[in-house]
Amino acid sequence: MSARVTSAIAFGLLAAAPLAAAPQAAMSDAAAQAMAHEIYQELVGINTTDSVGNVTTAAEAVAARFRAAGFPAADLAVLGPNERKKNLVVRLHGSGKHKAVLLIGHLDVVEARREDWSTDPFTLVEKDGYFYGRGALDMKAGDAIMATALLRLKQEGYRPSRDIVLALTADEEGGCCNGVDWLVRNHRALIDAEFVLNHDGLVGYSITSEHGVPQEFALSASEKTYADYQLTVTNPGGHSSLPRPDNAIYQLAEGLINIGRYAFPFELNAVTRAYFERMAAVASGQTAADMRAITRTPADAAAVGRLARQPDINSLMRTTCVATRLEAGHANNALPQRAQAVVNCRILPGHSKEEVRQDLIRVLNDPGITVRYVADDGTISDKAPQQPALAPSPLLPQVVKPLESTVAALWPGLPVVPYMNSSATDGIYTRAAGLPTYGVAGIAVDRDDVRAHGRDERVRVAAFYKGNQFFYRYLKAVTAQ
Amino acid sequence: MTGRRRARTAVALLLMLGPAAGGAAAPPAPQGSAAADALAYALLKQLVEINTTDSPRGNVTTAAEALAQHFRTAGFRAADIHVLGPSARKKNLVVRLRGSGTHPAVLLIGHLDVVEARREDWSTDPFRLIEQDGFFYGRGTLDMKGPDALMVAALIRLKREGFTPARDIILALTADEEGGAANGVEWLLEHHRALVDAQFVLSGDDYSVLTEHGRPLFFKLVASEKIYADYQLLVTNKGGHSSEPVPDNAIYSLTRGLDRLAAYEFPFELNAVTREYYRRLAGIETGQRSADMRAILREPSDPRSLARLSQDPVDHSITRTTCVATRLAAGHANNALPQRAQAVVNCRILPGHSPEEVRQRLVEVLANPAITVGYLASDGTLLDKAPAARGFAPPPLLPEVLNPLDELVAETWPGLRVIPSMSAGASDATHTSAAGLPTYTFSPLTVDPDDDREHGRDERIGVASFYQANEFMYRYLKMLTAH
Repeated sequence: MSARVTSAIAFGLLAAAPLAAAPQAAMSDAAAQAMAHEIYQELVGINTTDSVGNVTTAAEAVAARFRAAGFPAADLAVLGPNERKKNLVVRLHGSGKHKAVLLIGHLDVVEARREDWSTDPFTLVEKDGYFYGRGALDMKAGDAIMATALLRLKQEGYRPSRDIVLALTADEEGGCCNGVDWLVRNHRALIDAEFVLNHDGLVGYSITSEHGVPQEFALSASEKTYADYQLTVTNPGGHSSLPRPDNAIYQLAEGLINIGRYAFPFELNAVTRAYFERMAAVASGQTAADMRAITRTPADAAAVGRLARQPDINSLMRTTCVATRLEAGHANNALPQRAQAVVNCRILPGHSKEEVRQDLIRVLNDPGITVRYVADDGTISDKAPQQPALAPSPLLPQVVKPLESTVAALWPGLPVVPYMNSSATDGIYTRAAGLPTYGVAGIAVDRDDVRAHGRDERVRVAAFYKGNQFFYRYLKAVTAQ
Repeated sequence: MTGRRRARTAVALLLMLGPAAGGAAAPPAPQGSAAADALAYALLKQLVEINTTDSPRGNVTTAAEALAQHFRTAGFRAADIHVLGPSARKKNLVVRLRGSGTHPAVLLIGHLDVVEARREDWSTDPFRLIEQDGFFYGRGTLDMKGPDALMVAALIRLKREGFTPARDIILALTADEEGGAANGVEWLLEHHRALVDAQFVLSGDDYSVLTEHGRPLFFKLVASEKIYADYQLLVTNKGGHSSEPVPDNAIYSLTRGLDRLAAYEFPFELNAVTREYYRRLAGIETGQRSADMRAILREPSDPRSLARLSQDPVDHSITRTTCVATRLAAGHANNALPQRAQAVVNCRILPGHSPEEVRQRLVEVLANPAITVGYLASDGTLLDKAPAARGFAPPPLLPEVLNPLDELVAETWPGLRVIPSMSAGASDATHTSAAGLPTYTFSPLTVDPDDDREHGRDERIGVASFYQANEFMYRYLKMLTAH
């Protein structure tokens, strides 16, 4: 990591910078809230899952709003390699003083089954102070907020100091046609920028709260590498009336128990070390002491163990692998001929997918379980890629300073800390393309209530609206000078 | 036999060795067997060519009516022929050949329905009887329109001869043994018990002469059945993003439970039939295996002998209830912590134990209240509790059933033994057993178990075997009801 990064990590809390003077046709906060809610509701209501959903429908729906708001056709594009997986790219022209900023957000969502949920996952439901729905957090809230900010700036006649490009895209959650990857490869000029703001943040939020009280604002500047592995056991099978000791399901189960027990080695890098140093000053009691203890060399093992009980902290300290899917057998009355599992890993920067595949083989400790790599497009190969994960993005002052000022204005005293995402986002594609990328989203979510990808996914109503207000102000601050 | 239950072990429970006491006079030479073979062939062809699948194309009533017509033509009175059932497409045929009334009736059962067969999977049209290379091909030739035709042919032949049996012979040819809403045997017992009531039941729903490379090994008489039961193990979890794994994981909870299940053995248990099986088999086997069989029969049994014997999956299954995981499904996305993990566990339960008892044992073995154990009924319905009814103890091996069988088997296949056996699956015999009727299953067809194509493609029976069985069935019924 460069010196520039480490120095930029020590954030001071700056006084709130005065915002731009009142615009000509200012949209009221209330009107902006109503608009954000309307887009949010519309997007959640459009099924954008990879299976039966249609991202193009969502892209067109948002495009229609930009058209109605007066964005010229030349600045709007709905495009992609697949009829169901088109992306929206829209540009608000600036003065050209600086190179553009690219905002990215994905329109697709993971699957959600009605029977698993308390409410219809494809209807935005407001209940008990929360918005519920698939994508309520990850990340149709962010899509709605970014679109609203751009529409609001347009309505105000605001002229940013750099073009603002918004790309709302397909297949971040998996599928044939990752939109960011496709745009970077095929339409680089359309989305080229000095830096990228990714509203995916952690998973659609950046502020971790406890009982609704914000604790820290995580500026995502690095991320773990995502990798899926397929574990397979085969067996001759046979009739289930005559069970034998060798059984594909039991063999796989034993291996998975070993995976469940295994913890990858504790390891910090420059970003996570800075994170814990910074957080130690904010946290209190045992947690603060433990954070200090793990940043010493050698790290205190007991402190690592205590902190590892918190899943979000655990995932910052090590590569993690977890079984996410199982499939075995073909008939109730037949011994299974095949048992398979998917193990999903999040790999620390500096390590490769193949290295982790070898680790899994060692942990499974059973040559009868084959471990193959599953690529993003579903292709399965015997070996995984060898190249180590991408280095963090440098912390640019033109990104960090407006962030600190906006956060200080809206949440006085809230620390901004650099962060390494344990979840992979589309930031891997923009970073790989050489564009510094930062996860920034002003939505707060309780540490123990992150329901992205889970059932009854939700966001506090107040957090959504505050996030809406934040992003508009931050975007203005980023493009003020 | 039903698809989910067609399991049959080669679990041969040796009970009776050799033919019954000799001295029986050679039976009279069969009369009119060429005509009898022609009838059996015509019946088989007609049955195979009537589609009786549980689908819009299938109709069991058509087959029942066609057979009823044969009985009418043969001179059975209208009062002794019934075509009846709860559904227009699923009617059953019940026919009675009146006897002298010396003994209570015998009931013969066979199912008319067959499992699906797709033309594109088969070499021939599954709903045409094709004779080729010494085999009859067609859906149901083995399971069980062949045995149906044999039973019908025998009854008509006896009628035409003017034979008066010592007991009424009732034949019930029924619907939905293979699945479906209207199981005929169950329905008849519940709604028309008097029509089918009998001292004992003979089911034709299993071939009996097992061969290896064409050489007959033994004649299998199924006299007991394990109960088939499927259970669903389910763990639910709030799930979440897979980037932040938590210790509480639906897949790990399930796999830890399955690990305990894999290590668990149901208690060793013999019943009168399996005890006799090992007593007899110990006299035939040699060395360690023979010694081990003797050792497990002692009280208390020797655990090391049991462990050695149990290394053979067949012996393992004879001596205990077994449960094994056969399916898994968990998770809904590679990048999401699983909200649901489930397994199917298939159990084969010894007589004397109930599916609910086994369900509760599974709960104990899994030792995790987060794993719920539901019962999967045969129609796929998931229930919180399993049936509490216990599996039926094997019926007594009635001499009036076995003696003529022994005699005829010895005559037909010199040296071949009748071996009472326990099936690991279940058939319509479940329903007659439940009604308190001792039930024995056999059909004198010769099949190599490696070439058992029941429910599969190109189902077939040997032509010579079919005609041999035709003669056997006729003579057996005559001997069974002679006195």
